[in-house]
Amino acid sequence: MAIHEFGVRELADRIRAKELSAGEAVAAIFDRIDKTEPIIQAFLHLDPEYARRRAKVIDQLSAEELQHLPLAGVPIAVKDNMTTISMPTTAGSKILKGFMSPYNATVVDRLEAAGAIIVGKTNLDEFAMGSSTEHSAYHITRNPWDTNRVPGGSSGGSAAAVAARMVPAALGSDTGGSIRQPASYCGVTGLKPTYGRVSRYGLIAFASSLDQIGPLTRNVEDARLLYEVIAGHDPLDATSLPQTVESGRPSLPDWRDVRIGVPKEYDGEGIAPRVQARYHEVLALLQEQGAQLVELSLPHTRYAIATYYLVAPAEASSNLSRFDGVRYGFRAESNELLPMYERTRAEGFGSEVTRRILLGTHALSAGYYDAYYLKAQKVRTLIRRDFELAFGQVDVILAPTTPDIAFQFGEKSQDPLQMYLSDVYTVTANLAGIPGISTPAGLIGGVPVGIQWLGAALQETRLLEIAQAFEHLWPAQPWPSVGGDL
Amino acid sequence: MSLSQEQVKHVARLARIRLESEDAARMTVHLDAVLEYMTQLNELNTDDIDPTMHVIPLTMPLRDDQVRTSLPVEEALKNAPDRRDNMFGVPRIMDGGDR
Repeated sequence: MAIHEFGVRELADRIRAKELSAGEAVAAIFDRIDKTEPIIQAFLHLDPEYARRRAKVIDQLSAEELQHLPLAGVPIAVKDNMTTISMPTTAGSKILKGFMSPYNATVVDRLEAAGAIIVGKTNLDEFAMGSSTEHSAYHITRNPWDTNRVPGGSSGGSAAAVAARMVPAALGSDTGGSIRQPASYCGVTGLKPTYGRVSRYGLIAFASSLDQIGPLTRNVEDARLLYEVIAGHDPLDATSLPQTVESGRPSLPDWRDVRIGVPKEYDGEGIAPRVQARYHEVLALLQEQGAQLVELSLPHTRYAIATYYLVAPAEASSNLSRFDGVRYGFRAESNELLPMYERTRAEGFGSEVTRRILLGTHALSAGYYDAYYLKAQKVRTLIRRDFELAFGQVDVILAPTTPDIAFQFGEKSQDPLQMYLSDVYTVTANLAGIPGISTPAGLIGGVPVGIQWLGAALQETRLLEIAQAFEHLWPAQPWPSVGGDL
Repeated sequence: MSLSQEQVKHVARLARIRLESEDAARMTVHLDAVLEYMTQLNELNTDDIDPTMHVIPLTMPLRDDQVRTSLPVEEALKNAPDRRDNMFGVPRIMDGGDR
């Protein structure tokens, strides 16, 4: 097995045992990136120099010191909406071109403290607003399984980099599905933890009541390793939860003890027949293993997209008001203040970001606040209650991650509402604040499809154990042939 | 159409984004379709439902008021497009513009 094919755990074990140096791992990863990145274009910024320097530090540690580093020498990519001192942070936007953050995001500090080596920053839809990474101000990213298709979004660069085996793991952020949907499209594992589990200090805010950071990896165990490093209370994020994060060896469940909720609203209107058939195949397999399938209803699911696309843009319009051409980023020239603001923001933001700021500003404006934003927040309560009731009956809910496999470039980018509707199965977890993980469920016509496991708030450990048990039942496919090595 | 181009221009002014006429026309079509889709929320009676402001119950965290070093001025200003001494420069606000 080539070094770039190792997962997080496999690399860290070898580096801790000094069978492999961090320097060798970094060299192998950049060889792989040199071959595949021209095709995939997953990154906005790569820093081999920085990675080599960090590797040297790791390689000077004693075997005893390395034992304390769960991610010793593991190369990791970070979505470019998380701040890094050593590399630019653009959020995929022209308005932040060249921005150098004066501080690291907490997740970046935690990864590095655990021994990880940040190799670069991955592409995304501008400010994480999009489902295809086509809305990056810099370039598109291609799906490693079929380069005519999108990798999903907004964490499309992170998902594509992991699937193309440029890095064993990457961080993404998930506001309405932006980790789970690209994980599904690229055939990797993507975890969105409970709202507040992972500190968002240094994550460029999109929708503050929904945003959450999580890992994208090639297996569930690696997702858990990263999750345990980045999760936990952070005094720098006032929404960060105080509850302790369980760690240690997972105990995989006996399927006969698992009650799986099968919500009827995720299995009908809008789902592509090929994805529905795969979903049913998975359910049948689990039933065969003795799992108890419990049909249930989450009756407010059909209102989730409308709710999400009011709440998220409203919060975004407020969060993005900081980009005014004064303190950082791009400024359009004008000798008057108001036109300077208006031109800076018109030239600095792309069309999708502008659309969402306008939608959100409208939803919050005088005379419309009650009808739109407040109404949506009330419906959100109903959606949350649906899940609370459901988790009284079942351990986990199983649903498709996406209504269909990855779409082709340009297929949805001209019709915003069509693009929004493709988030139908993922936005609910953000609205309810619960954790969700997408794991691969094979290929359809050579392109991957994922399924999504949803758990009750703070039940990540159980969720990960169940997802890992499924991985044993349905091992991941061979990886895509890209860069001419398979 | 429930949303007029004038309304979109008004919202763009509130959001401090300059919109050219053709962009305003295109945005009006998109936003109108999206807002039309949103009207389905009115099917639900939510009179007695509390809005979700915080999805996970959390009391306001407080910390001790400690003296700490803050971001150095040099660092805080390093990304400023118009730096003047130890301040952020902006176009003149009074008397209708110019520096």
